[in-house]
Parts: sequence; structure tokens; C-alpha cells
Amino acid sequence: MTTRTMGEPVARREDPRLLSGQGRFLDDLGHDALGVAFVRSPHAHARVVDIDVTSALDVDGLVAIYTYDDLTDRLAEPLPLLIPHPSLTHGRTPYALAKDEVNHVGEAVAMVVAADRYVAEDACDRIRVTYEPRPAVVGIDNARAATHLVHDDVPGNVAAHMVQETGDARAAIDAAPHVLALDLDVERSASTPLEGKGVYARWDADDRSLRVYTSTQASTSVRAAIAAKLDLPPDRVEVVTPDVGGGFGVKIVHPWPEEVLVPWAAIRLGREVKWVEDRREHFVSSAHERGQLQHVRVGFDDDGRLLGLDVRFWHDNGAYTPYGIIVPIVTSTQLLGPYKPGAYRVEFESLYTNTVLVTPYRGAGRPQGCFAMERTMDAIAAYLGIDRAEVRQRNFIQPGEMPYDLGLTFQDGRPLIYDSGDYPASLEKLKKLVGWDDFDACREQARAEGRRVGIGLACYVEGTGVGPYEGGWVKVETDGSVVVATGLTTQGQGHQTAFAQVAADVLGVPLDRVTVTTGDTRRFRYAVGTFASRALVMSGNAIAAAARKVREKALRIAGEALEADPRDLEIVEGVVRVRGVPTSSIPLSTVAVLSNPLRYAFDAESARATQFATAADPDRPPVAEGEEPGLEATGYYSPPRATFANGMHAAVVETDLQTAEIKVLRYCVVHDCGTLVNPRIVEGQVHGGVAQGVGGALYERMVYDSDGQLLNASFMDFLMPYASEVPKIEIDHLETPSPLNPLGVKGAGEAGVIPGMAVFASAISDAEGFAITRMPISPSELFDLRRQHEEDTAR
Amino acid sequence: MTDLHDVELVVNGVPRSARVPARRLLSDFLRHDLKLTGTHVGCEHGVCGACTVLVDGRPARSCLLFAVSVHGSVVTTVEGCSEPDGSLGTVQQAFWDCHGLQCGFCTPGFVTTITAYLDENPEPTEDEAREAIAGNLCRCTGYQNIVASVLRAAELRREGART
Amino acid sequence: MKVSGTAVLHAPRDKVWAALNDPAVLVRTIPGCQQLEQVGPDAYRATVTAGVASIKGTYSGDVRLSDQTEPDSFVMHASGAGPPGTVSADVRVTLADADDGATRLEYDADAIVGGVIGGVGQRMLAGVAKKTAGEFFSAVDDVLTGRADLAPIAPTAAGPAGASAAAAPAVYTAPQRQRQAVPVGVVLGAVVVGALIALAGVLIGWLIAS
Repeated sequence: MTTRTMGEPVARREDPRLLSGQGRFLDDLGHDALGVAFVRSPHAHARVVDIDVTSALDVDGLVAIYTYDDLTDRLAEPLPLLIPHPSLTHGRTPYALAKDEVNHVGEAVAMVVAADRYVAEDACDRIRVTYEPRPAVVGIDNARAATHLVHDDVPGNVAAHMVQETGDARAAIDAAPHVLALDLDVERSASTPLEGKGVYARWDADDRSLRVYTSTQASTSVRAAIAAKLDLPPDRVEVVTPDVGGGFGVKIVHPWPEEVLVPWAAIRLGREVKWVEDRREHFVSSAHERGQLQHVRVGFDDDGRLLGLDVRFWHDNGAYTPYGIIVPIVTSTQLLGPYKPGAYRVEFESLYTNTVLVTPYRGAGRPQGCFAMERTMDAIAAYLGIDRAEVRQRNFIQPGEMPYDLGLTFQDGRPLIYDSGDYPASLEKLKKLVGWDDFDACREQARAEGRRVGIGLACYVEGTGVGPYEGGWVKVETDGSVVVATGLTTQGQGHQTAFAQVAADVLGVPLDRVTVTTGDTRRFRYAVGTFASRALVMSGNAIAAAARKVREKALRIAGEALEADPRDLEIVEGVVRVRGVPTSSIPLSTVAVLSNPLRYAFDAESARATQFATAADPDRPPVAEGEEPGLEATGYYSPPRATFANGMHAAVVETDLQTAEIKVLRYCVVHDCGTLVNPRIVEGQVHGGVAQGVGGALYERMVYDSDGQLLNASFMDFLMPYASEVPKIEIDHLETPSPLNPLGVKGAGEAGVIPGMAVFASAISDAEGFAITRMPISPSELFDLRRQHEEDTAR
Repeated sequence: MTDLHDVELVVNGVPRSARVPARRLLSDFLRHDLKLTGTHVGCEHGVCGACTVLVDGRPARSCLLFAVSVHGSVVTTVEGCSEPDGSLGTVQQAFWDCHGLQCGFCTPGFVTTITAYLDENPEPTEDEAREAIAGNLCRCTGYQNIVASVLRAAELRREGART
Repeated sequence: MKVSGTAVLHAPRDKVWAALNDPAVLVRTIPGCQQLEQVGPDAYRATVTAGVASIKGTYSGDVRLSDQTEPDSFVMHASGAGPPGTVSADVRVTLADADDGATRLEYDADAIVGGVIGGVGQRMLAGVAKKTAGEFFSAVDDVLTGRADLAPIAPTAAGPAGASAAAAPAVYTAPQRQRQAVPVGVVLGAVVVGALIALAGVLIGWLIAS
């Protein structure tokens, strides 16, 4: 039997190359290209009065300087608003280079092309821009107060206002036996992949075609955007994603200004042009996320069952909204988690501030929603004196109630319906893993020793595998190797391995004969992108569909060659044979040859396929009606809805009595993402997400001053966790296969990070005895909260 | 016209040289002048460690060094951590065994750091292994499998030494 | 692309007009100019090495004068072509009396720049044009005020044989001099200057004819 690789922790195919320094990341390409640097606004809000380039002209190696005035046709229009929505009544997007106004520190004002980046930066330093600063709007409170406006034509700084409801939450709360209100606050953080953005463009004047390499999560869409903005036929534009050093959402936005400006310059100058951002640039000109203020009102009964939930929140969307309002919509819908909400009303305002744009960062609004729901659950438990796990159990949607319609519209515009999941079983596993029921004793024991420990819990449901579709192409070559392509991209998720496993298993070939290409428009043209934990669900199933077609065709052709019924055939280790009669066999390589009747022979393989070599039926056409030559096929997967994964995390923390330092003693994860294709890759994704959850709870925040200056735009001051900050992560799995796709898979990419803030708030609250409502939390903030609490209780 | 300086040094066992301006960073020198793109640049302010190479055997942030300042030194990059025949060295093999990398961008800095570390401390405990890598940032893996890779590398070295 | 500017030259208008029309002056003051050749009435050909930043080349420029009102104003039509690109421009030049016996010169150019050099951005092109024009006028001013050495430069070659006296078929070659490695000479600068070369041609013609 062929070794099945699906479900196995197969070592990754892409690793040897990456480990020996043979990766091909964006800046590893285009050594002879001209370098690019940008003059970026030092002001959060200002009118651009004048740009004087005179002093820069002397810089040896300078090639070009562009400003808005050089942009023509569609390039002179604002960048696209990717995801419009009826509630986004005042969407705004930037120009590729600032026209009259800048709206955040870091907005691009002028583009310099030079012999290399060093020289380009020299020239940038000498360009004198005259600004007329205007008042900056920073922070949600100031945005709401609207004393000043970010955009003159956006009243109240409100980009969007949206309400979703099911049932009458306010009435339900008014009628409820118990009511609580919570005010919650989540601060801004960001994806900060280790590799920033970069774009490298080559214009072929002979061919009149453009090739663009960009560190992106959505190469197909970048291609469409470039073709549109530069007025090129799409067929003449190819976008290739190189190795990408992490994305985590920030590289899903497109086109970044640089993604259209760099190709445009390459065409104008007739030279290869490459731009690679530096770290500070990434901080001030990419995207951030997470910042929200939330107000929750909940009505519940004596058992802690939710009767009504009324949530209002204010979302800071930064200076522009190119990605629409996906993040707050995700917060609105995913907030409900695994619980039956009773009546639910959610209302948000998405507000402009003079800060960097806000677009999805791993979790994409779910961490904020989970935070709101889980703090509420803890508050109910505390109020009623019930165990926190017990309260949650009482509110769970039961496995027998699946599929469960929550009565809302999800981020894909489709009904929010959970397809599968066993929340009670997940919670039981988690309680067992972390020792939930024994923890009271631990807490007491620690207190006796003069230590303070606490345990926290958080549950979430994650909509994964959103559409509209993905596609896959599979081909068996005449040497028996298999090539696979899909249009979405890879940023470290091991697609070259996981997708190969799928194709290899469906076809019956050894894994090491399969190579996979992702994110290259030359190889696959229709795609959406890698985000929202969708790649395996979408491309995995599409590749499986394509591989099934190839298999079917192979069996049919082999059947003719072996004079056997295709239903009696199997494919083992790349050889088609009659089940039970191993001598009656034909290798897939030969089947591939036979599938393509030739006139000319190029090699031994093709010689076997020529019109004179095969005994063809003279009355039948060599390529039958409706057939195509070659052993290849394309398949697509387009589900009616997202498929819902879930997880529950528990954390044990210790807080220092003197310094209020927070130490993570244990971190436990129970995770359900359906059928696992490669368990090792899935666990790796969970580990990485948990680390970002730790970061978001305890360390990471963007600090803006009242003038809109980002004070911590470097790794020195924006604290990402090192190995010393991330605990050992204990994982247990549950697999409730998705009924929505043939592979039964669900997404896993964002899982680890979603409950991070919630679980740590829960654990610290448990240790300290008062509620934590604001994240992230630093030792000095905890110290202040302790003092506050002591004063409050003293009174 | 900028003055250029001759920089001669040994990189991965091979004498290399180039003429570069004084302000050329070692990271850029390795990547663009010598075309050894395995060393990566994550921050250019010495915090993330992706650019770590070994200078005369000791880990150094190549983004914080000028090429001219390592004239005459012996430098090892991640490419030099492979075996002469191109196969994976022990640290690299350990990473492969333990799924110690995802996007691979930070990995070269870990490989060089751990290579030097194991020379000094060939039998680390798990806590020591975690501390050894606590100066390099990774955004993908959550470090768990990297700690495992350190221990696995130590194990492979022991096995290699025995045969 | 529109570029305009002014300069103050420290001499009365008739001297300024004379200088601007003296090919011996021009060939040594135009940044990057290699040689001038009269090819017809009010028409000149110049060879100029110029370029924007790292896009350098040698350009041949044709200049033609019209609407001359000595010593007040004229219009110059110029075009230049070279490997990095092409320029064609119409430049209006006016001279006016200024204080202390000086002359105020204003130029107003309307140019179309094509080829690779046209791709470098308007501000850069305009900036370089003005810079080069400024360098040119400064050099002319040095000549007018005697700060620059002006050894006579005789024509280095005769033009087409058999030409009438009025055709003045002269070719002037720039002297060996320290070429300030102006990394930023510009076609437009050459073109603006080309207007003045044309002027020179006119004056030469007049001088010879009178």
C-alpha cells in the first residue's frame, strides 16, 4: 500500500533550502536593481505646502524623484477600497504619494530612486518638504469627541456605523434577574513579521510585459491592482511571491503604494527597481490593529445563563480604510464564541485617527471579541459565585445542536452558522490537562508560601476557510513527477509540504515526487489569498479536487492500456496496477505519455507516444471529444460558508507580591481544527499564535503621543516576546471533522492568538482578586491597579 | 565620489574581498557584495538577531558592524554551517527534525548563535537551551520547537562524536 | 513642463545682449557645451554633454530664433536629442534695465521631455533645469564683470564652403577647462542655453553683416 502521508507529522520539504541559507526572500533578488527610499511625513496631520528637491540633486547616484504631481491617470486616484460595505459610509484611502495632505506619521510624500538604498536615503535626507501642521486626532476618545477631524469631509471621524442584532437584547436585559456592565479596553499592536515589505519590478520592453515580485499574501489581487493602476493588460503583468518572512495579516493589504509605484518607476526608467523597507518604516507605514474600547451589558439568570447581550464598541481604524471594516465585523460576530447568546445586539463605530492604518493582524478582530465575551463570562461567574468553567459549560452550544445558526451575517457576507464542534468535550479535555479542579488547592498552597498564583480560562470559536474560492492545478509529468500549483501564497505555513501531502495521497504517489508552487500568477491565475485561516481548507480541497480528476483520467487511460476496468485499478507508489494482480501494471509516467498523443518525439518517453508507436484505433480521434491532452487537471473549491474551528486555553500565572511582575507558569491549549493533514505544522501554528497572544497580553502596544508621534517605532521599545517570555505550551487535540468539505479540515492559522488577552486577564484577575479589564498589562500597571484596589476596598 | 576601502576577510572558509564605502554594513556586504543572502536583516538595530553571524567564532550582529571593521577577520554565516558537501550540518538537521522553523527568516541567526553556543556548552539543559536562544526574535514558532532543536543538535553532535 | 526664472547680470543690456550672442562666450559658459556650429540664419547646432543625475549623455541640439526685438526679447525654439532622451522647448527671454546699470533677465520655458530622461520626475527635471540655468548665468556674469578670463577663441573650423559672408559658417569648440563634474547638467539647461546660443548666432550674423 502507498504510505499515506495525510495525518502524519511529515518533515517539511521546504526546510533544507531555508536552513542552508538558500531561501529566496524579496531582498535576495534583484541585486542589480536601483534602490528606493521614501520621504515620509514626520507629522501626523498636515497640509503639504511645498517639496523642494534642489539640495538632493547633487547626490551622486540619484536617478529620479517623484511626487504626486508625477502620477497620471489612475495612479493619480486614491488607492482602492478593497472591501466596500454598506455600513462603511465614509471610507477613505490614501493616494500613492500624498497629494495635498498627510494623515499619519509615515505617509509617503516623495519617492527617490537611486543607485542603491544608501544613496536613496542620502537624497531623501536632503529633500525639504514644507508642511503646515494641523491638529492631530489620536486615540479613540479624541476621535469620538471630534474636536478635530482627521478628514474634513468625515463628520465625527466616523468611517462606519453598524448594528447587528438577533432578538431584542435590550428588552431581554431589562427583564433579566441580573445585569452587569463592563468597560473594556484593548490597545493597539501589530503583526510585525521579521521580514518587512518589499517590491522588486522588472519591465521587459521587448515583450512589453511586467514582472513584479512582492512580499505579499495576495499575489493574484496585487496583479489585478497593478494592471488597473498602470493601465496594462492583465495578461502582461505577472506577480510572483518569493519566500516570505512572515505575514500575519499585514501583507494582505494591497496594493501598498509601493506595490504600484515601484513597477511604475521600473517602466518609466527602463530599469529594474527594488524597494525594501526598514524596520522603522514598517512601524510607521504598514498597518496596526487591535485598538478598541468596549462597553458590554449582559443580562443573565441565576444559573449564569445568558439572556441578553448588548455590546457597543469603538474601533480605531487609523487614518484610512483600504481594507474596509472587516476587523470590527469579525469582532461583532465572533464575539459570541461557543455560547448561546440569548438575544444579542452589537453596535460599533469605526473611527478615524491620525495614526497608521488598521488592517487585520492574526485574529483580525477575534481577540477583541473573545476578550469581551470571556471577561463577561468571568464577571458573571464572580457575581454569582460559580466556577468559571461551569458558567461556560452552562452556556455552550451542544454538539447535538449543530449546525447552529446564530442569526448574524459573518465577514464573508454569509449567515453565521457553526457547522460542527464539541465544546463540552473540549472543555473537559482542557480542565484535565491544566488540572482545573485541583487548582484551588494550588492557589492555597502558594498563598501559604507567600506566593500569589492564578488560573485563567478562555474559549473561542473561529470562522475559518472563508470563500469565495481557491483553485488547484495538478499535473503528472512524463517522468512521473507531479507538479502542483495554487494561487494563494505562503508565509511559513508549510504549504509546500501540506499541499504535497494532499496531492500525493489522492494520487497515490510518493511524497517526494510532488512539488508545489504557491503565489505565482504565472502558474495559477485565479485565487483570493492567504488570510483568515483559510489556505488549507480552500487550496487543500481544491488541490484534492484537481488530483481526483487526474486520478480518474489516469485510471481510465491505464484501464485502456491494461484492458482492465478502471474500478479494478489502484495507484501505489506512482504505479497503476490491477488490484491483486501486481504484474498487470503501468507506471503513471507512461500513462502521462499516453495521455498526450504526439507527432514528434523529443526523447525516449515521447517516442513511445507518437502516432506510429501506439496502436491507435483508426476510427477514433487521438484526442477524444471533450478531452484534453496531458495528465493534468484544475479543480476549484468554493464552499457555501465558513467552517468553524474552536479552542480553549488555560493559563497559570504567578504575580510577584513586590514588583507585580507577571510570570507564566503553565499554558495549556485544547484545539479543534477538524482533520489534521500535518499535525506538526498545526502545532507549530498554535505555538506561534500563543506567543503572539502572550505578547499582546503582557508586552506589545503601540504608544502614540498626543501629536500622533509613534514613540516606540523600533524593536527596542516595541516589546515582542523572546524565548524567555513564552512559556512551554501543552497541547491536546480534538478533531471534529468539518462536514462542509471532503477533507474534513478546518483552519488553524490564527487559533493560538485569539484567546491570549482573555486568558491572561482571567488568570491575573484570579491571582489578584480584582478584575482586569484592560490589555496589555505591564507590571507597573498591575502595581497601580493593586494600589487602586486597596484604596477602593479600604473605603 | 565616495572613498572605497578594500575589505579582505575569510568567509565560510574562503578568502573573499571587495571594495566598499566605509559605511557599508557587514550585513549588506555579505548579502549584496558577496551574494551570501542567507544572513537576513530584520531590524537593523541589533535587537532581532536575524543578522547574527560568527566573527572569529563569536556571535555578532552584522547589522551593527561596518564591513571595514571586520577586515582580516574570519566570518561564518549560515551557509558556512552546512557540511562541505552541501548537506545539512548538525544544527540545521536538528531544526529540520524538530520543525524549528516556519517562514525561515529568523532561522539563520538562530543557527549561527546555536552553533557557537554548543561549542561552548555541548550539553545544555532545557532551561539553558531556552536562555541560549533568548536573544533572537522569532515571530512564527513561539520558540518551543527551537528549544527542542537546540537539544536535538546537542544530541546529534554527541552521536556524531561517537561514530 | 514649465520652467521659469530670472537672473541679474551686472552689465547694461547691450553688453549683455552682446555677450549672450558671442559664441566664444557661450561655448565656455554653457555647462557641458562641447561645440557650437552655425548652420543657417538664426539657426545653430550645439553639442552638449548633459544629463540628469546618473542618466548622462551627449546631446545634439538645434536652436532657432524668432521674434527678436533687440535688445528686449526673443523667442528661442530648441530641440535636443541624445541616448537618454529628447527635449523640445520654446523659451521666451526678456531683458530689462535694472538698478546700477545691471540687466534683469527673465526666461520662461515650455518644454516637452521624452525618453528615459523624461521618467525622472518633474521636480527633479525642473530643479536641474533651474540649477543649470543658474550656473550658466553666473558664468556669463563672471565674464561680463571680468572675473573670468576670456582669452579669445577663434573659430576652429570653417563651415560649409562657398557660404556667403552673412551665413557665418563658424564652429566653436570649448576650451579645455575644468569640467566641474556637474552630475546634474540638464538637457533643458542646454536648451535654455541653446536659446542664447541662437542669440549668439544672430549677433554674429549681425556683426558680420554690419
